[in-house]
Amino acid sequence: MSAASITGPGPVKAGDALPVLEVELTTTMIIAGAIASRDYMPAHHDREFATAQGAPDMFMNILTTNGYVSRFVTDWAGPGAMIRNISIRLGVPAVPGQSLRFTGEVTATDDNGDEREVEVAVRLANDMGDHATGTVLVSLPAACQPLPRPAV
Amino acid sequence: MADNENDELREQLLERYLGKPLGPPAEAPDEVNLPMIRHWVDAMDDRNPVYLDQELASATRFGGIVAPPAMLQTWTMPRPRLEGIAERGGVPNEIDPDNPVTKLDEAGYLGTLATNSELEYLRYLRPGDLVKSVTALESISERKTTSLGQGYFVTWVTTYTAGDNDEVVGRQTFRILKFDPSTMGDAR
Repeated sequence: MSAASITGPGPVKAGDALPVLEVELTTTMIIAGAIASRDYMPAHHDREFATAQGAPDMFMNILTTNGYVSRFVTDWAGPGAMIRNISIRLGVPAVPGQSLRFTGEVTATDDNGDEREVEVAVRLANDMGDHATGTVLVSLPAACQPLPRPAV
Repeated sequence: MADNENDELREQLLERYLGKPLGPPAEAPDEVNLPMIRHWVDAMDDRNPVYLDQELASATRFGGIVAPPAMLQTWTMPRPRLEGIAERGGVPNEIDPDNPVTKLDEAGYLGTLATNSELEYLRYLRPGDLVKSVTALESISERKTTSLGQGYFVTWVTTYTAGDNDEVVGRQTFRILKFDPSTMGDAR
């Protein structure tokens, strides 16, 4: 591939919405995330352990939550983007059988030479409420091409 | 609602632990590597090509393959001892009881709830980087009355370094609430 295929969201301004990501969470996904992040806490793979501790089910570990947040933002921002900061406040657990819905909106932009620094407010919610809310700072190369897909 | 005065427990913990490293530096058991990156991107279904596609990654600012930024903590996670992990409350290894969480447990603040995580990235990690991390206590809040009971917000900062000159590549600020479940609903 050539540099011309380094795509991004094109012009970005405050108020832009990111494409919604909806993940139909399964037990397999939660365990895969926990083990890929080398987090062997039983609450992230053992339903009996988690419920005995008062949780509604086994639940996603924080590393996986951050991994999905990063993916959600770079799915939109493209491979030329660099995540600078992921700051989240944690809420209800993310559990199997409940879809996790990611929404995001650009809240600020700042041109800095060849870079455009973008602040994105993100929200991850399931049937119980907000799993995580917060802010991602992502740096986009100013020259990146628009993504070849419709804006949402 | 905070109890500012005569909070000897908080004062003792701050005096003993504030700003001090929590144990020795952690060193990643493996260098940043493609197999672990592949497991990660498959687990999160993250198809950003900079994590596995050398040719495309070379054309980006990164100049080659980089690790997903949210993997930062993964590299220095301790190798777990799985036997007995449930009996240890899910802790992967025996931990030195000389730490503020154990002291809060002993004082009755048995509940633990993770409340905030902030990850800051100064540079993305590349295959071959060997990551080290040091964690230090940043703050213990005044005692608060929360919906779960009375407790303290405890905040740590972990600094991650890599390379021969221990370049700082990122930081994580992590906050938990340690609460006393028996005080839930207490009016103050």
